[in-house]
Amino acid sequence: MTQDVAGATSPAGAVDVVLVDDHHLFRTGVRASLDERVRVVGEAASVDEAVRVVRELRPPVVLLDVHLPGGDGGGGAEVIRSCGDVPGTRFLALSVSDAAEDVVAVIRAGARGYVTKAIDGAALSDAVRRVADGDAVFSPRLAGFVLDAFGAAAGDVATGDDELDRLSAREREVMRLIARGYTYREVAGELFISIKTVETHVSAVLRKLQLSNRNELTRWAAARRLL
Amino acid sequence: MDLTAGAAAVVRPRTPRGALRRPERGRWVAGVAAGVAAHLGLPLKGVRVAFVVAALLGGTGVVLYAFWWLTVPPGDPYDEAAAARPSAFARLAGRPHDPACVPHVRRWPVTDIAVGLLLVTVAAVGVAMRTDRLDAGWVLPALVVIAGAALAWSQLDEVTRGRWRSRAGGRTPFSVVRVLGGVVVAGVGVLLLVGRATGPGVDAAMFVQSVVASLAVLAGVALVVAPWWLRLWRALADERAAHAREAERADIAAHLHDSVLQTLALIRARADDPAEVARMARAQERELREWLYDDRPAPGTSLAAALRAVVAEVEDSRSGPGGEPVAVDTVVVGDRVPDEATAALLQATREALVNAVVHGRPPVSLYLEVGSSEVEVFVKDRGEGFDLEAVPSDRFGVRESILGRVRRRGGTASVTSRPGQGTEVHLAMPFAPVPPDEHAGRPTPEEEP
Repeated sequence: MTQDVAGATSPAGAVDVVLVDDHHLFRTGVRASLDERVRVVGEAASVDEAVRVVRELRPPVVLLDVHLPGGDGGGGAEVIRSCGDVPGTRFLALSVSDAAEDVVAVIRAGARGYVTKAIDGAALSDAVRRVADGDAVFSPRLAGFVLDAFGAAAGDVATGDDELDRLSAREREVMRLIARGYTYREVAGELFISIKTVETHVSAVLRKLQLSNRNELTRWAAARRLL
Repeated sequence: MDLTAGAAAVVRPRTPRGALRRPERGRWVAGVAAGVAAHLGLPLKGVRVAFVVAALLGGTGVVLYAFWWLTVPPGDPYDEAAAARPSAFARLAGRPHDPACVPHVRRWPVTDIAVGLLLVTVAAVGVAMRTDRLDAGWVLPALVVIAGAALAWSQLDEVTRGRWRSRAGGRTPFSVVRVLGGVVVAGVGVLLLVGRATGPGVDAAMFVQSVVASLAVLAGVALVVAPWWLRLWRALADERAAHAREAERADIAAHLHDSVLQTLALIRARADDPAEVARMARAQERELREWLYDDRPAPGTSLAAALRAVVAEVEDSRSGPGGEPVAVDTVVVGDRVPDEATAALLQATREALVNAVVHGRPPVSLYLEVGSSEVEVFVKDRGEGFDLEAVPSDRFGVRESILGRVRRRGGTASVTSRPGQGTEVHLAMPFAPVPPDEHAGRPTPEEEP
């Protein structure tokens, strides 16, 4: 997966991130792969440690593994909930898992995006910057999950703007293009809209994913004991 | 009722409920009070006070304590509750228990009512005994019945209760009435037997009394035997669960040995060939991923699984222009049972993938969507792109093997390629409309309630 830098926004400085993963080897690998636009200011290997480090450093972005030991066993979602009151800190979930329940758990806990660990360094740095700017980061796989969960593939789209349980036709278009492997810039070019508009659509979808009571989401979650 | 007033605040947030076990830690005598408190989610102090009060009033507390001491096995309540989760979840991370996410189900305050009833009963018995209004011959059987029922019920942990309830016809008022009715009948029987009831009309009373008395004997025996029987049964279930866990562990070990360990050994042996190492690692990752996360549908029932097999074959057998292995980023939305048309679509998809891997540049993206009337496939790469019209008709096999194959089946196919932006192949295959129920959801039987 590759994501372009949003309009090549010139970074005033590197974005500080805290890296949370229980595998030391993986943390080392991620730190080495991130480019100069991102600076790792702290690391943590468990839920409790992560909560402590995040509260202490208050970084703009936390790169968070979904599966973490410690705490009450809630993994990354628990870290997000425990740090919900830390202002200005956003979470980007980073996982090796393809399982729908993992994705839904961290996104509904409040993560601003979900990328798989197969992502390369440049794309991950882009994703971190994007999250730091307040945007959502959708990998093709997450877009696929969204289309699946909202029944958008079967043409079930919203007619009103404020509907939480269905995607709008435009959001569905954007999700489909992302699932097809388009970068945000390519999506913008394909739909003749600005990158900012693409980001707005993606953020709206993220909000629906977090707030919707759509029965598929609930059924998934219930079948997997999420809610 | 100040006993329950503090209960809500002290409930441990970790698990909704512990199993009924006597914990080793925090016990004063035998851990009965601690176990009961953990099981019911009551404050430990309150349970202890209740035991002491009940012990002072006629010795019920002592009897109950001794009984539970005998019948409740030692162990950690929360570990037991955690172990009761299905083993399929054990290999994944623990699930968050967020009280804010729990849907608010209207629930009877059973615990409060039970404690209230207990207190009222104890108080009434105390008053009655002091004023000599109540015959001790009535009090003891009544207490025995209540204690026995509570005991039998408390022997069942949450999971078993749920199973019993569902077997009795779900959590409907009807099943509750059935259980309550049974308890009431048994109780009345015991009372009639022990309590020398006299009714008007000797014959009828005698008849009823003898019938009820025989039932009461049965019920009484059942009550006495139930705890021991349950214990035996539970030991059996424990053993069975241990066997299942053992089998699961052996399964995982065998799998890791057959696949992962062998691949690692191969990788070490071929460490001088990075392309081969990358390919083996990718194949192993794919296989392990499938084993861990997939629903493993039956063969021939899932288009998604068939597509994954195609992707695996292409990833394993084809290399990029520089000889390096290429991973295909696959996203699938929806699923359906494959048929002849989708078989042709998959064949075309395979050719498009081979083209993208061999002639394009990674990352190669593959998206399959099962819509309401057609299956769509997009294959995208990031190569230089080319002008389709300028390509000789025999090259790449694009025209025949990809486009022709789909169009002959009534589908549509197109190739979009702009220089510098890569190539995207779009295939769409309509299918005969079926009732929405049959293809709306993924065929995952485990998700069915």
